[in-house]
Amino acid sequence: MTSSLVIESLISIAAIGLMVGLAWFVFKTPSPAVTEQNARERLAFDEPDFEPVSWLIDRQGRAALAEGSNGDLALVSRLGLDLVTRRYPASALKAAERDGVLTVAPQDPGARAVRLAADEAAQWARKLDPSVAS
Amino acid sequence: MEFPDIIKYAVPAFLILVIAEIIAARVMKRGRYDARDSAASLAMGFGSELAPLLGGGAILAAVFAAAYEFRLMTIPNAWWAVVLCFVLDDLRYYWWHRISHERRWFWASHVVHHSSQHYNLTTALRQTWTGQVIGTILFRTPLIFLGFHPAMVFFVGAINLLYQFWIHTELINRMGPFEWIMNTPSHHRVHHATNPKYLDANYAGTLIIWDRLFGTFIEEDAREKPRYGIVKNLGTFNPLVISFHEWIGIAKDLFKSRSLKEVLGYTFGPPGWSPDGSRLTSKMIKERWARVHGEERPDAASAATEPAPQPAE
Repeated sequence: MTSSLVIESLISIAAIGLMVGLAWFVFKTPSPAVTEQNARERLAFDEPDFEPVSWLIDRQGRAALAEGSNGDLALVSRLGLDLVTRRYPASALKAAERDGVLTVAPQDPGARAVRLAADEAAQWARKLDPSVAS
Repeated sequence: MEFPDIIKYAVPAFLILVIAEIIAARVMKRGRYDARDSAASLAMGFGSELAPLLGGGAILAAVFAAAYEFRLMTIPNAWWAVVLCFVLDDLRYYWWHRISHERRWFWASHVVHHSSQHYNLTTALRQTWTGQVIGTILFRTPLIFLGFHPAMVFFVGAINLLYQFWIHTELINRMGPFEWIMNTPSHHRVHHATNPKYLDANYAGTLIIWDRLFGTFIEEDAREKPRYGIVKNLGTFNPLVISFHEWIGIAKDLFKSRSLKEVLGYTFGPPGWSPDGSRLTSKMIKERWARVHGEERPDAASAATEPAPQPAE
């Protein structure tokens, strides 16, 4: 690696820092909480034939899980200022519940595990994996 | 004729324009910035400049030098040749770009550029770390075989890339007759949108005439604001995931393939292809939208030609 490349790289990194710092300073918008309303709106766009019939909403607003009328599940999580959705057949989504927190870990690349703290977490864990109920 | 490295000279302008856009977006209350999203985009841009140093750049140089040795004719380094080369390279860009959306192998690299849900000047810099070698060899070598000097081909490609920087903004609305011929922010917003109505459109680099010519042009509709990103948006800002998630997806799919047809389909089929149709290509997404909303197919105007699939994941 030549010294000029190192210098150019350091200048680029400093420029990136400047741009990101300015964007952060000028737009200090906090991430929105995931609510049934905004999750429903986003799903209507991403999955227009998905009809949610029941919801599990994280009380900290990190994510929401919806069951559709055909048994499919939809996961809505937040990323920065936006929401990200994934739809799965019921059998494809595995989850574990502990102390009232349901952790859902999708397997598709680009998705990430989400945690939903809610009173109905255990109930949803049984719904996702009936063997838990026994 | 010398062909300077104009990208290098343009970097300070990128910085100044991004800063100007951030401030203008705030003042005008138009456009959105998220520091984390911008950081991811700029990290991808930085990495894309370093990636060719891992060997890809040397391979390209060797292939182009060899191709030039076997050129059909020698085209002089004259101004008219630069103009001709620019137009042909822009046509080359159109088809490379279109195939980058239609075939998963190429999409695995290009998805990086579309993976932000924001649309601003930092999105322009969200570039791939992979895929520059094969795509460049396949689509640029013909110009060199024809007789254009490799330095000229790279120079006009750089002009094309530079032109595309400024069109990644929501601050500029419509541009009148300029939009008849040139690619503009409005046209390119449509290209980055995931609204079913806007999928498969506006692949142009500099000249929008290619989309008009090949039936892929869609005009921005003031009644339908573009929603940016990919149809299955990423759940992270991690540059490694942004860079490699689709390649990992291909690898996973190949691992479970049960026939040559599935291998080929998962690798070179349209993004979203699956043997049982359980995933959605862009064509299926458009049809689903039309079915649910009871409208004509969003691309009805260009339905005479087979819609180019847009990435479904």
